[in-house]
Amino acid sequence: MTGATNGHLREITRRTALGALGAGIIGATVASWPRLSGTDIPGRGDNSLSIAIMGTAADAAARQRAIDAFTRLHPEIKVKVQAIQAVDWKDFFTKILTMVAAGTPPDVVYVATEGAQLFAEKLAHPLDEYVRRDAADMAEFFDDVHPSLVEAFMYKGSLYQLPMDWNAANMYYNTTAFTQAGLERPADDWTHLDFRNSLAAMRKARTSDFTPYYWTNRLFGGVVPWLYANDTSFLKETRSAGGEWLWDGFYANDPSRSLRSGGYQWLEPNANDDRVFESFDYLRGLVKDGLGVRPEEGGGSSLVGLFASNRIGTTPAGGYWVQGLHEAGMGESDFDVQFFPRWKTQRHQFGTAGYAIMKTAKDKDAAWEWIKFSSSREAMELIFPNPITTPARRSMVNEQLYAGKGPANWKVFYDTLDRFPTTGPIPAPPQQAAVETALMKNVSLAVSGDERQLKQALASMQRDLELALRRQS
Amino acid sequence: MSTTTRRLAGESGKRQSGKRAVGETTTPDANAPAQHQPTAKSRQSQRWLAWIFLAPTILGMGLFTLIPIVASVVLAFFHWDIISAPTFVGFDNFSEVVQDPTVRVSFLNTILFVVVAVALQLGLALALAIMVQEKMPAWLRVFFRSAFFFPLILSAASVSIFMRYLFNEQFGVVNWFLSLVGIPAVPWLTTPGGSAAVVIFVYVWQNFGFSFLLFIGGLASIPVETYEAASIDGATGWRKHLYVTLPLLSPTTLVASVMAIISALQVFDQPYVLTRGGPGDSTRTAVMVIFESAFQRLEFGQASAIGVLLTLIIMAITAAQFRLSKRFVFYQ
Amino acid sequence: MTTTTDHGLAGHSPRLSEGLPETSPNRRRFSWNFAIRIVLLLIAAALTLGPVLWTLSTSLRSPSESFKLPPSFFPWNPDFTSYGEVFQQLNIFLLVLNSALVTGLIAVGQMVSAAMAGYAFAHLKFRGRGALFSIVLATMMVPVQVTIVPVFMLIRGMGLSDTLLALILPAIPTAFGTFLMRQYFMGLPAELAEAASIDGASPWRTFRSVYAPLAMPGMAIVGILAFNFHWNEFFRPLILTISEQNFTLPLGLVSLQGNLGTGSISVVLAGVVLSMIPALVVFMFGQRALQDGLTAGTGK
Repeated sequence: MTGATNGHLREITRRTALGALGAGIIGATVASWPRLSGTDIPGRGDNSLSIAIMGTAADAAARQRAIDAFTRLHPEIKVKVQAIQAVDWKDFFTKILTMVAAGTPPDVVYVATEGAQLFAEKLAHPLDEYVRRDAADMAEFFDDVHPSLVEAFMYKGSLYQLPMDWNAANMYYNTTAFTQAGLERPADDWTHLDFRNSLAAMRKARTSDFTPYYWTNRLFGGVVPWLYANDTSFLKETRSAGGEWLWDGFYANDPSRSLRSGGYQWLEPNANDDRVFESFDYLRGLVKDGLGVRPEEGGGSSLVGLFASNRIGTTPAGGYWVQGLHEAGMGESDFDVQFFPRWKTQRHQFGTAGYAIMKTAKDKDAAWEWIKFSSSREAMELIFPNPITTPARRSMVNEQLYAGKGPANWKVFYDTLDRFPTTGPIPAPPQQAAVETALMKNVSLAVSGDERQLKQALASMQRDLELALRRQS
Repeated sequence: MSTTTRRLAGESGKRQSGKRAVGETTTPDANAPAQHQPTAKSRQSQRWLAWIFLAPTILGMGLFTLIPIVASVVLAFFHWDIISAPTFVGFDNFSEVVQDPTVRVSFLNTILFVVVAVALQLGLALALAIMVQEKMPAWLRVFFRSAFFFPLILSAASVSIFMRYLFNEQFGVVNWFLSLVGIPAVPWLTTPGGSAAVVIFVYVWQNFGFSFLLFIGGLASIPVETYEAASIDGATGWRKHLYVTLPLLSPTTLVASVMAIISALQVFDQPYVLTRGGPGDSTRTAVMVIFESAFQRLEFGQASAIGVLLTLIIMAITAAQFRLSKRFVFYQ
Repeated sequence: MTTTTDHGLAGHSPRLSEGLPETSPNRRRFSWNFAIRIVLLLIAAALTLGPVLWTLSTSLRSPSESFKLPPSFFPWNPDFTSYGEVFQQLNIFLLVLNSALVTGLIAVGQMVSAAMAGYAFAHLKFRGRGALFSIVLATMMVPVQVTIVPVFMLIRGMGLSDTLLALILPAIPTAFGTFLMRQYFMGLPAELAEAASIDGASPWRTFRSVYAPLAMPGMAIVGILAFNFHWNEFFRPLILTISEQNFTLPLGLVSLQGNLGTGSISVVLAGVVLSMIPALVVFMFGQRALQDGLTAGTGK
């Protein structure tokens, strides 16, 4: 064979190969067109009721049985649940706003306290007319749900969501670590000083590879419970008038009726309050004496693992933690839960979540039917079969839910609301994202230096909060 | 620069015609392209072909980069939250942005970050490239090259996830190693100094491999004869690198540094996942502030104003760099 | 060869000495220089690979043992439960498919468009070439965060919101790729084109028969770099995709971290390890091409 033909041949095979490659790429592109253009996503662009929840496909699938039950009840309403993955609620709301910006907003969104006022102010449609219309059906629901949870979804006299699940910041503790340190189960009304003494005892019993108090730098379960216990907050808390229609209609006989209002308002920063300083100074003391960690920003992703491997003595968390600890291998008697320690008060912090109807929803009546159905005991049992959160219905927080998983004192979860009726939601005005950033970014500095650094951090928090609240958001 | 090296470099340049590493020339007019015999017809058909070939890139860039840039500049004069209609606010966004202490700190952070991270990245990459290119068994060289390149194939987000665990104050591996030599636990992610150090470390850890690869390429294009000539002149060891390698490598260094600076100026993933910009504003970077004001606070006008300012700064830095390079970069 | 002269950085004019450079091939004896160099390189390699090995070994431990100290870097008793968990929590196959489609099409698109534009800038003469090239280069300097909002609105206008195409199309025009290809084409020997034009070939023929067949190594670099960058891209997918059906791998991984501390470290790390695999494969096949391509402008 001569060199010339050889080269010619090579040229031909080369071209064939390149041609085949090009054809392959084009073929693959055409074949995957539905994937590329998103047209293969079921329910996209049709007129079914779209419901956005935070979570994974697995979470959406977990709702399938509830959807089936709903479809049996309302065969005329087609429902599609869209699970939106996000690291935290702030991230989730960003995604919802992106959908609004993209011109494809969902009809119903599962919104937590963090976003309740953002949605109420800008995006959501009030439920008042529906609740009034179906008052007969709703009486049973409100009867089973503590008014504190409902009040968290009141905004300027109107109700925007029905609470579905919630969690208060109680105190989890590792029973082994308590026993090793010679500690008994703390009393219901233990104080912040008792708490500190318990931490010191645990520190003495285990000097390394162990943290008596682990906490995270978040809106929920971070510094806020300590502020609430000390009867203060980083924002000035006021209430708006109104809401009588709801309270008189459904909670007329509730012992805490007189406390209820038309909703919380957070309009001014309060980081320069003396008690805020006092609470931060207490936490700073815990950090300084090696009793508590310096909290990481956006941290907490390893919390379950650390707690389950007996490296943590105490940490604030709510009922949502039980399933995670169980899955991480903790036995039902390895941990327990108690109320958050008392300071000036024993007011707790809680967060709750529920469905909101978007202003842009095409069929608001259908959306309400979904919300009403979801609030029924039947639906809530389908959605919350496990203690991955605390159901809003008192009757569902029962022996059966925690059987074999613990904690022994699961009653603490709902008792928090009954025993301390002033227990309040996470402070989250419509400018929540900016407010949260303003708080979180100053926490680490505040608790991990000297007193001067603490004062500086609180001053800068005050300034950052002022800026955040000034925004028209 | 000594005359000896100039002479050496000049010689090597002649031997090397037609063989050039990618990225050795940078300024648009530094090297004239190959010349064809120009005839009128050929010139016209070249023009046609050029525009056809350029069409996808130019149209795409016009649509997805230039128009958005213009739009971004326009948006900087509006108040807009995506939900309601935009309102014109003149220079309000700019004056607010300039006064916002967080924005100022984040710009300062970005510049400090770029200086430290790029210096470390280039220094490390160059030192390692020189060490790897010297005599050693081939399999060992392949191992080292692959090891240094490896972090580059990971995503910054996942690297930041596991680095977060490694740098945990109580339970992290880094502090455990330090405890072996008696250093008490360092609060890496919760103090301003510590978190800045971690963000820089994680960024450099992941990115030095790219500069390393560019330097390997640059070193390989320096002919062995140059070193032989240098050694005849008596240059050995470090001196050899100082007088021969560095000058001959300066075009590669320019490319590597321009690329490193541009990418460091846009750092987002690492601080976003590692520290969320905290504690305080200690690791908040300029692009993080843009992200936060646009997508968390819905201040799209303000975000655009910050973006416009950042772009102007980047352009100024790059222009300064090219100006400096005219003095210090040595083309073969 | 003495080590003392190695440190004589102060001397400005090199003097003659008997020493040979270490690159000299005909000396085989133990050298301190060599040993120190290898030790330094080994330390650097340990620092780069150590965290990755730790990630791998931790992902292969049960969640309750994930914080084991002293750390172990080798998975002696692998436990795969975390991997099972990843598959349960995430639709890994869909994430990989999405990432592969997005990255693959961007890479191909960049290779083709950059090769064409790079060739035009390198070998074709037209008015405004220098200015246009400068503009193309300048776009590299604009952070993606600056243009993302207008791009988002543009995508909405095109009816491509929350689709993979929204990630692909804006990423195809590439300033860096165009720059690389221009350099690459300019690095090819000029005699090639001269020979062709003496033969009287048209610019198109010159390109097709002379340059196009040689373009592959340069295009491979552009493709590999595009793959590497976009496979790991976080910011644009974070903004431009909404449905998890359209998520790419890095987004899926971050969401594994779970809300309110309910994620498990070994599950997260298992996800990280899984996401490394496809990139590792491309890297193993592409490394040679990448190194050759970046090393020498002429591909053979």
